[in-house]
Amino acid sequence: MMDDRQSALVQQLIESRRQLAKGRELPTRKVEAEGGCGVIGVASSVHIKAKHLLAPVLQMKNRGNGKGGGIAAVGLNPKQLGVSQAILDEDYLLQIAYLDPSCRTQLEDEFIRSLLEVHHANRVPSMENYRDVEELEVEPPQVWRYFCRVKPEALDAFVEGNSLGELDRHKAEDEFIFQNSFRINSKFYAADRDRKAFVLSHGRNMLVFKIVGYAQQVIQYYQLEELEAHVLIGHQRYPTKGKVWHPGGSHPFIGLDEALVHNGDFANYYSITEYLAQRNIVPLFLTDTEVSVLLFDLLNRVYEYPLEYVIEALAPTTERDLEMLPAEKRETYREIQDTHIHSSPDGPWFFIIGRTDARRRQYQLLGITDTSMLRPQVFALQEGETQIGFIASEKQAIDALLRSLQSEDSRFWSRADLYWNARGGSYTDGGAFIFTVKEQHHVGPDEAVGGSIQDRRLVCTDKFGTVIEPPKAKHRYDPAELQSLPESTNVPIKIDHHSDPDALFRQLSSEIAELDFRSFWYLCRSLVGVSRTDGHAWWSCIELLTLLLDRIYSTGSKKRSSMLELIERCLYEIFDSFPSLAQGRESSYRSIAWKKKTSLRPPKGSEQVLACRATGFPAEGPDSLAQFLVNAAKQGWKRVVLYDLRGHRFIGCGLGPETSSLRVDVYGSSGDYLSSGLDGAEIHVHGSTQDQLANIMKSGKLVIHGDTGQTFMYGAKGGDVYVLGSAAGRPLINAVGRCRVVINGTCLDYLAESFMAGDPLNGGGFAVLNGMKYDPEGNLIELDTPYPGGNLFSLASGGALYIRDPHKKVGVDQLNGGQFAELTERDWNLVLPYLKENEKLFGIGVDALLTVEGKRRNAEEVYRKIEPVHLAALEPEELEVSRF
Amino acid sequence: MTEVKLRVLQRHEEKIHRGLAELASGDYGIPESLGNVRWTPELLMTIWEQAGTGKPPTSGLEYKVGRSGGGFDALDFRFAPESERIDEKEPVDLSLSLNRRRNGPPIEIPIPVYGAGMSFGSVSLQVMLSRAITAKTLGIFTSTGEGGYPEPLAAYKDHIITQVATGLFGVREETIQRARIVELKYAQGAKPGLGGHLLGDKVNSDVANMRESLPWVSLFSPFPFHSVYSVEDHKKHVDWIKTVNPNALVIVKVSTPVDVDMVAVGAYYAGAHILNIDGGYGGTGAAPEIAKKNIAMPLEYAIPKVHKFLLKEGIRDQIVVMASGGIRTAYDVAKAIALGADGCVIGSSEIVALGCTYCSNCERGRGCPIGITTVDPELSLLIKPDWGAQRIINMYTSWQTQWHDILRKLRLRSIKELRGRYDLLRHLHDGR
Repeated sequence: MMDDRQSALVQQLIESRRQLAKGRELPTRKVEAEGGCGVIGVASSVHIKAKHLLAPVLQMKNRGNGKGGGIAAVGLNPKQLGVSQAILDEDYLLQIAYLDPSCRTQLEDEFIRSLLEVHHANRVPSMENYRDVEELEVEPPQVWRYFCRVKPEALDAFVEGNSLGELDRHKAEDEFIFQNSFRINSKFYAADRDRKAFVLSHGRNMLVFKIVGYAQQVIQYYQLEELEAHVLIGHQRYPTKGKVWHPGGSHPFIGLDEALVHNGDFANYYSITEYLAQRNIVPLFLTDTEVSVLLFDLLNRVYEYPLEYVIEALAPTTERDLEMLPAEKRETYREIQDTHIHSSPDGPWFFIIGRTDARRRQYQLLGITDTSMLRPQVFALQEGETQIGFIASEKQAIDALLRSLQSEDSRFWSRADLYWNARGGSYTDGGAFIFTVKEQHHVGPDEAVGGSIQDRRLVCTDKFGTVIEPPKAKHRYDPAELQSLPESTNVPIKIDHHSDPDALFRQLSSEIAELDFRSFWYLCRSLVGVSRTDGHAWWSCIELLTLLLDRIYSTGSKKRSSMLELIERCLYEIFDSFPSLAQGRESSYRSIAWKKKTSLRPPKGSEQVLACRATGFPAEGPDSLAQFLVNAAKQGWKRVVLYDLRGHRFIGCGLGPETSSLRVDVYGSSGDYLSSGLDGAEIHVHGSTQDQLANIMKSGKLVIHGDTGQTFMYGAKGGDVYVLGSAAGRPLINAVGRCRVVINGTCLDYLAESFMAGDPLNGGGFAVLNGMKYDPEGNLIELDTPYPGGNLFSLASGGALYIRDPHKKVGVDQLNGGQFAELTERDWNLVLPYLKENEKLFGIGVDALLTVEGKRRNAEEVYRKIEPVHLAALEPEELEVSRF
Repeated sequence: MTEVKLRVLQRHEEKIHRGLAELASGDYGIPESLGNVRWTPELLMTIWEQAGTGKPPTSGLEYKVGRSGGGFDALDFRFAPESERIDEKEPVDLSLSLNRRRNGPPIEIPIPVYGAGMSFGSVSLQVMLSRAITAKTLGIFTSTGEGGYPEPLAAYKDHIITQVATGLFGVREETIQRARIVELKYAQGAKPGLGGHLLGDKVNSDVANMRESLPWVSLFSPFPFHSVYSVEDHKKHVDWIKTVNPNALVIVKVSTPVDVDMVAVGAYYAGAHILNIDGGYGGTGAAPEIAKKNIAMPLEYAIPKVHKFLLKEGIRDQIVVMASGGIRTAYDVAKAIALGADGCVIGSSEIVALGCTYCSNCERGRGCPIGITTVDPELSLLIKPDWGAQRIINMYTSWQTQWHDILRKLRLRSIKELRGRYDLLRHLHDGR
């Protein structure tokens, strides 16, 4: 891949660092352990303000412990920083945190004024008293900012002294800055027990701030609310060691032009530090996040690998996924792995990187997941007048950020067009996605650029460069257009309390594509109106709106995400309009809110439904929404609607056994562990869900009108579960008993590992995997493969999988402990009622599933059964013991 | 069961009981093949004796330490001179509070030990009942282990810890809700980095039904919780348990990796009330030797490491630290406390009280000649719950006497005062 000259240059560059590493002891273990974190990254074609990070990081506060918070901003607004665009583009933006401000003169004299040409310098404003920031316990450092270039004579000396004459001068300057910061950190941070100062960031067009505290406090303390950037990253840290923390340990960590935040903890820290030390790189902050970014910088800047190879070196493609790659790529990847496997982080990790690509004048946001997908991760994309991409620990954080943006800027709306998970180290997407903010029309570096460039575009690609984009030729509503309602429209339906919402929906769904936004809005509003005037029609209106929200149908030229936003708004308005529990008015429907939560009482008279707005309820703990639901169920409510959730966790947990008469409907961004332990009740989630759903579920019913996250139904024992979309990694792992599941999409990997659900034909459990998706016009189509993962039904001893696989795409190489078996009539009779229920819930017809390439087929031609391999080794044991 | 079978069983049972009593007396010498250097024949025999009499052994056999030459066998107390000791008649306090946090109910146990998790499947229901009756009688606790919560145990629910382990076998909301204490088992010292395992031989239909798995198929729990790969996941995990049962105390059970101190702090911040650090000397004969002997840190190093670190962090008095994994005798318990634990979790010794000979054949379905580590419908009847409970109660009664004696000789009036008193210990370098 590299010729001799390049190779020699790399050697020379590494050699130039020998002095830095000299005398530094290699840490044998990291000093600060951390595992968990809440992370969010956003990239936008237009500048967005840092204050919009506040809502998502606040909502993920429970993923940090207030011992470390940080943000990074890339692609800044020169006007806000008091410099020209040229300076912003070309200068290094050195930001130094002074824990002890008295060392500033010394540091500046030695490392800045003498070596760097400073074009602009200022102290970063902050609040006068850190105690004015709520809950902030440790005073953040004083931060100074220097826009600078290396003085020519200093650079000459550096080049000459290290024989780097052949190196591109810009690259030599990069290296100078990198080494200079290392020296600053060694002298003022690592070596010195007092820890006086450290470099926050030095990359071009980017800033990093970090403190001992929460991420939101960073923004508040340094008054960054109005700071504009194309790429923003926020990080809540959860370190566990040490009573005294230092901001230097918080994320993001920097390479040169990149800032990296990390969620996870890897096992081979020492191995990676060894690898780096052989290349004269020694860590100073002793966390695995630091070595991650040092590794990235090495691969990217020193070895100059293309991004795809950098990602491969970090998260290798293994096993079947490697085999599935084209031969040439497989060969290259093998070589990369041969060279880098020892330095590839081993264990659970997820990186978000924000960086400036100065040469191409673009900014990037990257999310890379580990090969086993052990950390939570969601990606999202919204494209309207602007494009905006997201990477986060939880979907709810993305929605929070969008809502925050929407509240100020009508170009954004509260739902992304696409949400998805990466499949780590895979042949399908490579487990990484890159959002690149490019200039719309390429402007050569020689042409003068005055002021800021407004005309930028965001492109999302996966590791292999495949572009991810929402359906084309769809539009969002114009907010102004919806200000006033039309006098009359072509809305085709009438609704009252005799109406059958299903029939109305069927009628509507074929016509909805033709409606323009105004008519559609009118339709939604009229449902709200009807519900106001005719209390009896409330439920019909809610059900119809819910069908419009849940089902997938042709939307015509309307963007589905913006339709859903309107539907949801109307639904919430109806729920809000239910009389509160305190009101005297007779009604079957009641509402309750956080502030009035003590007014909870048992249902009286004809009262049937209790709707509770989630706003205000904590995500967990004794006052949580989950606990409220438990209380409501205890008081005798049989039908509860929870709406506008924002990451509220544990919904449906704690209800206990014998709750079969309870039904709960959940709207909004629900949180982790929903319905875990459910034993009888029925929960319908109107939207996508988070991680750890239905763990140890015992009985009851769970319906998910969307996707679900990691470790879905881990250790479940029973229950009937229906998923409209897909599950992420490790669904049904260790599940036993009689859990019965229909997944209409697919799973990322490790489906039904160690499945032990008895004999499905005699009361045991099974999962049906349909492997379907919808095209942009709302048509049900087959996925490329019903199951892309390399591990299917591994080590399973009981239960069965029924996979819709008419083209026999799933192979024995995906099985480890399972085998294909004939689909018998008994099997089909077992599965069919579940598929019929699936049809009722999602409108996915059994007929449609049995139709392949336009032809209706027999079940055994379409579905394949996978059952456990009978273990010959166990036969003598069984015989021996069964005699007694 | 036929009358003949019952008669055979009864005779077998009588012989075992007589054998335990006679062997324990020492009159027949020390059987050569019994035990090993940690669990010496003397330790086994003296526990049998205590389980029979409820008093410290009088046979003259060594009942305080084994002959391993390391671990707790290499530690001894520095007792005060005879003249300075506290009078025998003066009371001492052996009680231990299991909740030092501001949330959750106060729970106190009268002696500084409770029973370790042993699953239904690894041991029989009779053994579990014996331990449950013991816990109720003494006001302490015993743990279900990870094999589910057999219904007959529900009568003792106030003294039973529901364990939630990585296989999640038999864990339901109901079993979490009925417990006053819930234990999250992340790892066990006998096989850190490995999950629990129950070989197919022991997974008979009763066990399989309880776990809702398949008969005769070996059960391997995953080594981590699939839902917990970080401390923030762990906090969420604890929050989940607290949502299901807001009134339960939470135990976090971990093994002793080199960074056990950080694990301890993480457990505290996630909201655990009790941290159980489980060292590698424990485990039944079913635990693989290679894991028991080669992974993780020795318990006697792990306890002070955790204790000191929690002190340094200023949170030592908000979390209860229980040590386990090869705590065999009253002296081991006292030493573990002197090293910095609040109390100990006892597994094997309770089994020895029931007559275990440490033959290490526990993984077999019908391998246990005494009827302890078996779920065989006949063999398991050899242990009658009331008899079993009395044996374990007797052992603890004898231990109480010994703890009283140790404290008196150390001039301490409470077991709490012993915690972290390294100065009261000495190390016997040559293992004598």
